[in-house]
Amino acid sequence: MPDINRSSCGDLRSTHVGREVRLAGWVDALRDHGDVQFIHLRDRSGVVQVVFSPEVSPAGACELSRSLKNEFCVEIRGTVATRAQGTENPHIETGTIELMARELTILSRAATLPFPVSEKAMVADGGHKRAETVAEDLRLQYRYLDLRRPAMQDNLGRRYRIIKTARDYLDEQGFIEVETPMLTKSTPEGARDYLVPSRHFPRKFYALPQSPQLFKQLLMVAGFERYFQVVRCFRDEDLRPNRQPEFTQLDLEASFLDETSIRDLTEEMVWRMFRVGGIELPRPFPLMTYQTAMDGYGTDRPDLRFGLQCIEATDIFQHTGYSIFKQILQRGGSIKGINVRGQSEQLSKNVLQNEYAKEIVPSFGAKGMTWMRVMDGDLDSNIVQFFSDQEKQAIIERFDARGGDVLLLIADPSYDTVVSALGQLRLHLGHRLGLISPASFCPVWVTDFPLFTATEEGVTSSHHPFTAPDRHDFDPTDDQGLLRLRSRAYDLVVNGEELGGGSIRIHDKELQLKVFRALGLADDDIDNKFGFFLQALDYGAPPHGGLALGLDRVVAMVLGTTSIREVTAFPKNRSAFCPLTQAPADVSQEQLRELDLLGMAAAGTVPGMEEDQKPIDTLSWVARIGLRDEERPVVNEAVEEAVQLAGLMQRAAGNEEPVFTPVTLNNRMRPPEPARICPFAENGEMYRNAPSVKGDFFKVAGVLDQ
Amino acid sequence: MQSEVFAHVNPSPDAGTGQGSLAGKRVGVQSLFSVRGWPCTGGSKALDGFQPLEDATVVRLLKEAGAVFMGNTHVSELGLGIAEDTSAQAVAEGQVDVALMLDTLGEARTAAARAGLYGFKPGWGRISRFGLMGLAPSMECIALLAAAPEDLSRVYAAIAHVDERDPSMVEAQSPSIPEGGAPPRKVRRAGFNPELVARLTPGEQKAFSRAMLQLEQAGLTPVEVSLPDWDLFAPTHQVITAVEASSSCGKYDGVRFGHRASGAKNWNEMYLQTRKEAFGLLLKTFLFQGAYFQFENYQAFEDACRVRGRLIRMSEQLFADLEVLALPTLQDGRDATAVRDIASLYQAFTLTLTANVTGQPAVTIPGCLRTNGHQDIGLQLMGPQGSETALLALAQQISVQTEEVA
Repeated sequence: MPDINRSSCGDLRSTHVGREVRLAGWVDALRDHGDVQFIHLRDRSGVVQVVFSPEVSPAGACELSRSLKNEFCVEIRGTVATRAQGTENPHIETGTIELMARELTILSRAATLPFPVSEKAMVADGGHKRAETVAEDLRLQYRYLDLRRPAMQDNLGRRYRIIKTARDYLDEQGFIEVETPMLTKSTPEGARDYLVPSRHFPRKFYALPQSPQLFKQLLMVAGFERYFQVVRCFRDEDLRPNRQPEFTQLDLEASFLDETSIRDLTEEMVWRMFRVGGIELPRPFPLMTYQTAMDGYGTDRPDLRFGLQCIEATDIFQHTGYSIFKQILQRGGSIKGINVRGQSEQLSKNVLQNEYAKEIVPSFGAKGMTWMRVMDGDLDSNIVQFFSDQEKQAIIERFDARGGDVLLLIADPSYDTVVSALGQLRLHLGHRLGLISPASFCPVWVTDFPLFTATEEGVTSSHHPFTAPDRHDFDPTDDQGLLRLRSRAYDLVVNGEELGGGSIRIHDKELQLKVFRALGLADDDIDNKFGFFLQALDYGAPPHGGLALGLDRVVAMVLGTTSIREVTAFPKNRSAFCPLTQAPADVSQEQLRELDLLGMAAAGTVPGMEEDQKPIDTLSWVARIGLRDEERPVVNEAVEEAVQLAGLMQRAAGNEEPVFTPVTLNNRMRPPEPARICPFAENGEMYRNAPSVKGDFFKVAGVLDQ
Repeated sequence: MQSEVFAHVNPSPDAGTGQGSLAGKRVGVQSLFSVRGWPCTGGSKALDGFQPLEDATVVRLLKEAGAVFMGNTHVSELGLGIAEDTSAQAVAEGQVDVALMLDTLGEARTAAARAGLYGFKPGWGRISRFGLMGLAPSMECIALLAAAPEDLSRVYAAIAHVDERDPSMVEAQSPSIPEGGAPPRKVRRAGFNPELVARLTPGEQKAFSRAMLQLEQAGLTPVEVSLPDWDLFAPTHQVITAVEASSSCGKYDGVRFGHRASGAKNWNEMYLQTRKEAFGLLLKTFLFQGAYFQFENYQAFEDACRVRGRLIRMSEQLFADLEVLALPTLQDGRDATAVRDIASLYQAFTLTLTANVTGQPAVTIPGCLRTNGHQDIGLQLMGPQGSETALLALAQQISVQTEEVA
């Protein structure tokens, strides 16, 4: 129902000139021209300029308008008028008209803002305002103000559109949305669970779902055939910059469909979702096997927006005299390389040797890198003298090397190291050399994953233990055989980012048991954790499969935002903390008592509630000074002495004002001077003393765990 | 190049143009002072390999005045204590004419007294600390050591200039004290505290009486003064300095300079490991005390600052009637170079740290408190704010008297 009495700020146009309207919204910006006051009034539709002028507005309204401040919530009546020529504002949709105010009601006042909300300049040459420089924690603390910004309103509005598109499509395809429980039992997704203590079952815990995996499979057993859900999932994982403890999945599952059908259906859906953001994904999405991806791109999430494929070179050096390669090959190693086509001007000897070979490639885990520049049909490098003519010729042919190309080789005893380092090197070069067009989108389905991955004790599931293998006739005790099994899983990767993944599931109980046993689970363990699920497979389970799409990531990619927090209304910060509500927070003893958690602590069974940390450990942490074992007794004594001193000072101190310098200093202001870059930064001397430098930056360990 | 005395020996000490007030004067600075291009490691792994990009203001002023830099001297970790310090040795062996030292607890006066030298600590905020690897901004100042008292005056005159790069400098004299010291009073007095004197050995007490006689000859009437709250100076100094040190040492994170632990998986671990390895045990225990006051009991720091205010006012009242307060420099036989923990560090500097708490100038004069077969415990004269010149003149006067006696 439209509000018949209220117009929308952003909808007013020159066709409305002369009309009397009522607007309500927030003061976006103000401009004081003495007698005349201009304000930008903003509601969710947009911004319009309102004028309080003694010529048209009553004295009371003019007077009141002077008390307005940013983000006051106001109601205004007035007449739409054409702006005087030359005063139009191209930054706003309503820039050709303005509202001559007659009545002003202040609905609600605003306190001083922690950061500006306004994004629209009031004058033609005012440029576009940006709020990105505001510290993110401050934005999150005042998220309700941050969300008033048109950019954030637009992000959430389009997020809704993208999800609605998916819902509408799945509805068209006969899927129904079914909700599954949030308070449930731990399932084996691999991450830590968020636990919720139960009051009715003291000392027992629900787990928040990491995904609705078992429930959606049970819905298939229950005969729904086509299910989907926009569902919140929770994973208590190590912190990563672009990860949230809770996130939204588009989860779907269908019976009697094979992997091709599920992929086709998903492709259509994802294509429609991207189209909401004006992005036309190229179709059909190509398929690529896991092995091809690893061989050619060094990752199972290949970024296909640029070339630089990895090329096999191990065989070329089978009989090499170059001792480094020889030793690596004797240990069963591999050699692979990349041809960086026509970039020898960008990649000088100095850059290749000192940056890539010495710094960048070692940070990717490989010990080194061999480089060759192609000049006049010959190879130029510091090691090429060790290669035979035959080897040089084979390299040129294998890499299709032409003048101006740069060939980079990585050799290592471990194949995994070679492909992983080369894959990272490929991405690094892609970004550095500007080979990646920001406007291109390259989706790909990665298939034929290994079902199991080797661990120290045996094998673990590459996806999850409900994924169907390509063959049934395996021996669950033969680890080598297990590692050769492929899964019927598929991941959707766009521009090197995994947006979703799924698989055909096991619907046969015996096969499911075999997989559990291959994973090394004991029978009573299986029964304990999955008994209810295995029992369901006894009752005519249909063949089924599905997929889960990370909605936050999809939306962030479609909207081109830097982080999923930009497309989430109330996200946690990078430390999984909510600056707005200050969660997680303490709870009362009473709550803990009711949940019988106090008793558990006494019994020593609640992790994290062990005996209090020693004071020196707390100090060591807050002061970020580590202690050697042999230092602890002395430091302990010193801290005890400090406690004594504190007592002495407390007894000795009177009510006098504290003195922080022996002589009172006058306040001194630095004389105003234009901002300038420190000359030591400009000439690079500043970096001379640093233990580790990368370009113009001091290099440090990552903020979060690697 | 290193030597026993110098952490860095200037390979080509430039005799200079022979112009300037300090032309040809050979000086040494601790390796806490920034000299462009010289290693400045402050006796700490935290400054491993650090080479300053520009001269400290005081170094620039010395160079401009024509002083010849011989090298920088070894120093205890970040200037805390004198266990490793070679400034006094450099002067005593005649390798430099004047050594510059950071004085936080009385390091310069103590080192000077032990080596039979003159040690002079100006009032707080008189010499720019820009370019210094300091520890306790409200306690420390640059102090001078020399064999000849006139060298102290000449160097002090060359470096006591307001520097806009050090915001903690005392710009104007407080109105009651004009430049050059207190106005001449009708009766000039030298205070001494009988309780402090009573703690001396009989021989030292005799020497102290002789020293008071020398002051009388210099025109100062000895008067007994009482020093209530004297025992609060050391704990007040300790609490405040620990907090300031903990705060100052925040910059030693191994990011822009200095030692960095290898192999840390994340930022926090990098800090923890780096700082675990960077600091020696004495400084580290002090930093933990500072961290305790800073993070767990800030009230204690504020309380200490209240007590400090009271001690400063007490001292101001005392010096309203006094030209100088006379006291020994060294505390009854405590060896300041053998200090291994914070408690003994503070015990060794009890008599000197008072002037750091109140920010007053003080000078130590050799030869006056020497008893047969015992170490010279150094006559220390503390003056009121702004009395630097007067104190140095008095020191010179007494030195002449001492020479005559000898």
